[in-house]
Amino acid sequence: MTTTVEATARSRTAPQRPGFFKRLFAEYGQEIVVLAAIVMLFAIVTMVNPRFISANNLTTIFSGNAYIAVAAIGMAMVIVTGNIDVSVGALIGVLATISGSLAVAGYPIWFAWLAPVVVGMAVNAIIGILVAYARIPSIVVTLGALSILRGGLISVTGGTWITDLPPDYLIAQKQIFGLPVPLVFMVVLTLLAAFWMRYTAFGRSLYAIGGNAEAALATGIPIARRTVAVFVIHGAFAGLATILFATQLQVIQSTVPPNLELTVITAAVIGGVSILGGSGTVIGSTLATILFATIGSALIFVNVSAYWLRAVIGLLILATVLADMLRRRGRGA
Amino acid sequence: MKLKSLIRHETFLAVLLVVVLIVLSFQSDRFFTIDNLLNQGRLMTEIGLIAIAMTFVIATGGIDLSVGSILGLTAILTGVFWQNVGLPLPVAATAAIAAGTFAGFVNGVIITRFRVPPLIATLATLALYRGLAEGISQARSVRGYPEWFYVLGQKDVLGVPTQLWILLFAAVVASVILAYTTWGRTVYAVGSNEVASRFSGLSVEKTKLALYTASGFAAAVAAVIFVSRVSTTRSDMGTGIELDAITAVVLGGTSIFGGRGTIIGTIIGLCLIQALKNGLSLAGIKGDGTIMLIGAVLILAILASNLFERSGTRT
Amino acid sequence: MSNSTAYVSLTDMSKSFGGVKVLKDVSFDVRPGEVHALLGENGAGKSTLIKMMSGLYTPDAGTITVDGRELKFSTTRDAGAAGIATVYQELLLFPELSVAENVFLGNYPRTATGIIDWAEVRRRTRDLLDQLDTFDLDVDTKVLSLSVAQRQRVEIAKALSKNARILIMDEPTASLVESDVQRLMAVVRQLRERGVGIVYVSHRMPEIFALADRVTVLRDGAHVATRDIGEVDENQLVSMMVGRSIESLFPKAQASIGGTVLRVTKLNHGRHVRDISFALRRGEILGIAGLVGSGRTELALTLFGMTPATSGEIEMEGKAVRIGSPRQARDLGIAYVPEDRGLQGLVKAMAIRKNVSMATIERLSSGIFIKAGEEAQRALDAVKRLSIRCRNIGQPVGELSGGNQQKVVIAKWLETMPKVLILDEPTRGVDVGAKAEIHTIMGELVKQGVAIIMISSELPEVLGMSDRVLVISGGQITGEIDRADATPERVGAAMTAHRSGEAA
Repeated sequence: MTTTVEATARSRTAPQRPGFFKRLFAEYGQEIVVLAAIVMLFAIVTMVNPRFISANNLTTIFSGNAYIAVAAIGMAMVIVTGNIDVSVGALIGVLATISGSLAVAGYPIWFAWLAPVVVGMAVNAIIGILVAYARIPSIVVTLGALSILRGGLISVTGGTWITDLPPDYLIAQKQIFGLPVPLVFMVVLTLLAAFWMRYTAFGRSLYAIGGNAEAALATGIPIARRTVAVFVIHGAFAGLATILFATQLQVIQSTVPPNLELTVITAAVIGGVSILGGSGTVIGSTLATILFATIGSALIFVNVSAYWLRAVIGLLILATVLADMLRRRGRGA
Repeated sequence: MKLKSLIRHETFLAVLLVVVLIVLSFQSDRFFTIDNLLNQGRLMTEIGLIAIAMTFVIATGGIDLSVGSILGLTAILTGVFWQNVGLPLPVAATAAIAAGTFAGFVNGVIITRFRVPPLIATLATLALYRGLAEGISQARSVRGYPEWFYVLGQKDVLGVPTQLWILLFAAVVASVILAYTTWGRTVYAVGSNEVASRFSGLSVEKTKLALYTASGFAAAVAAVIFVSRVSTTRSDMGTGIELDAITAVVLGGTSIFGGRGTIIGTIIGLCLIQALKNGLSLAGIKGDGTIMLIGAVLILAILASNLFERSGTRT
Repeated sequence: MSNSTAYVSLTDMSKSFGGVKVLKDVSFDVRPGEVHALLGENGAGKSTLIKMMSGLYTPDAGTITVDGRELKFSTTRDAGAAGIATVYQELLLFPELSVAENVFLGNYPRTATGIIDWAEVRRRTRDLLDQLDTFDLDVDTKVLSLSVAQRQRVEIAKALSKNARILIMDEPTASLVESDVQRLMAVVRQLRERGVGIVYVSHRMPEIFALADRVTVLRDGAHVATRDIGEVDENQLVSMMVGRSIESLFPKAQASIGGTVLRVTKLNHGRHVRDISFALRRGEILGIAGLVGSGRTELALTLFGMTPATSGEIEMEGKAVRIGSPRQARDLGIAYVPEDRGLQGLVKAMAIRKNVSMATIERLSSGIFIKAGEEAQRALDAVKRLSIRCRNIGQPVGELSGGNQQKVVIAKWLETMPKVLILDEPTRGVDVGAKAEIHTIMGELVKQGVAIIMISSELPEVLGMSDRVLVISGGQITGEIDRADATPERVGAAMTAHRSGEAA
């Protein structure tokens, strides 16, 4: 009897059930911070220059970067399991070339769209097998894959651009229900992935693997199989990102933006995915992509020289990382 | 056991290098000539300097992704200090190197003081330093350096490319430090077990701070050599060089988890990559196709050495 | 109590690792509604046995019978399906996930559409926690913010969620404070009432006598005895465990005790080191007793400069000193052999030679260069002096046995010529032979005038080796007892005592 009395006396000061917002913040703290930053940025820049929220500019911000957000979804999943992929930029380049070439060669449009997804899954299946079964660290495997894909891209295209793409192929320039397709893609895929990671046992197991591999094994989760699977899914998202990337202009360039893989990784991490694995959501990674795009656009609208754009973005990334670290330390101790 | 497997990896790599050299010299009689080999040495110096510092960083279990950006920043600053500020070129180059070293120091502070994982910290500074380079340069390139400056990157000393002497010197000093000094011992200890190192009274934070600073210094020196070699400065110089350097280090047997690795391994890895690049292009294979082969060699070499030491489990 | 037939029986189980037989023909069974205590020293084979029961290891030989059927467990899922769940010593939870999710991970309730029903997950977790009288734990909290005792209840809830018939508890009280121990024992009793069979692994005699119905003792991988708890007393159990009487196990060397070398006054750090004052003399062994979490290791870490004191004074040989880092502690002549040998003590991948020189590497160098010859010579001497069994000094430490690894850590710190040597659980995970050797080494050191502070969870070790016993509870000293007066009862009482003004 004394035990119960003592137990009650010792009970924590925390209430039985913290409020809805408190729980929301505990679970989605980083996402909320990023969202708040976006909203604030919009408010401030619009006050300075109302043209910032013109339909035209919004399309640039959201649609022009949707492919990065889509790629970051897969990256977030990979990082949640405690792995990393530095080859995704080169992969998108290769897949874009494949897709564009098929479209120009007169294959059915749906085939040109499907091919990058399938090839992306196949390439990442190999990467996943090397990581999970040959036990080579993912950073080493994907570093090698980066060289192979990058070299492959340049030697196949020889640096020439793909032109004369059939108009029907350019899905990123079209609209559904009056909304740009890339925006719809980004939102729908983010929500689907977020739902999948939260409401399926498979999705949850990714957190378990990244959070505590030993415990995951003791719980009976097949770590190796899931690791391969998550790389394959990541490949599919890279393929979907490719479709948006390849169809946004009338031509497909033989290069991807430099350091695209690092941009994608940064989006995932700033969005709250712990680089050590085990936590984070794809909603966060998509919000972080939007944040970067907004920052980039905002700097132009407040007349910051385009040359200083990356420096300012870099500084903001660094500030976010340091703030996150201090926040974690405050909580973790 | 560990020591044996270490030697095994490097022996394996050295044998691979010899085989590659033999095969390539049959492919093209222009490959195995003194002139060509020395010229290849010239081309690999910049990556080499960075890779040597990176060997230390990776051996502690860290990584430095910002070296390419530091290279670009230092290159731009060299040009700006000289042409726009009007400093004498040696002073300008020294000041730029100091700035690049400071950039490395900042990495170290972020990692040791704020305890940001090195991958994230240097990912952020990769963007920042490249951005600074772009902002400072305003997309202008600086050309027209005085003739004497090209001694560093384009001329020979005693029949050997100048910068190759620098690389050789750096490699020897780094090997000695890593193998025979308290500092090198601390690097391995921290990479194998940071907690135990701290419990043994080793100065973990100081060592790491010094390493990231040294990594910045190496990238900065590489930048000046780079400028001298190509006679111009541009803000995109060194883009992607971090991945090349990491590839050489990992190929050379340094564990990405830290705790093991040697300079000689890194140098062999470096030579292997350069020989493949050059030999295959001489043999008529398209230049960029060789990058693919390097990627494949990286994965296969690690796979092979993993298979050799299956019994040794990491703890 | 219950004389029904066993639910799980293990018969003639054997297991070897790398040619070393760690379990030899051991039989063990558990009945529904009983608490069956499993006893043995570290390395006796307890954890191997329970890992085979929970499907983590597959036995080399032997059979497992569950409810009359012979089964083979190749994964933990198989054991779970047979109704066996385990609460591990190193709690296997996912820190970034919520309490509810940890309970149902891999075993989620689904809605009709096959997706995870989070409302149901939360509701059922609440239910399970309420059954464990744990009303004060929010199911949405992330596990990383929970205390050890709370995590343990999450683990138990997890086991119950799978309708476990048998619950294996591996040293469940090792890191609990006393009030939590009482609470846990209440939970165990309640589970027994509900017919759950419990395998209870513990070192603590009072708990075993309070809870267990039967007790099985293992020694050196072999089965020694299985008895009803009423048939044995504590002394019998201890001699079954160690295979000899306690007197011969702790050879207390007589050393002449000299002047004060270390004096600590009102030392504070955080919640676990509070107003600690004591003095230590040359040639003395000061035993520190206390439960895990009582603040004994924290005190050592503060003295060693890992977590520098926030207030209070430390005097070494009469001089006031500040200790802000392990380096400073080392230079002042304080050495610390840490609790977690693998994580804090050794670089396992490195050679013995390099581990031995690790704390003295600057002293072994001229300029920045390591004097390799002298380093090797010193390592050879250390290997000989402490009789470390190894192939050569180039052998990686990770390949040595637990006892020899511990001797390497001790050797490393003896190289610093310490005046004060702090030993934290010096014989944990060490076999009986090496344990005696370590005790002999301690005896020789005090004869040379070294002062030793020994932290140990093992009461017989504390009582057997110490000249004086300092008891810590809740971060404060709750007793200082001379060797002559140190009885298990007095020390035990002080260990669980709470000083006033405590808000734990």
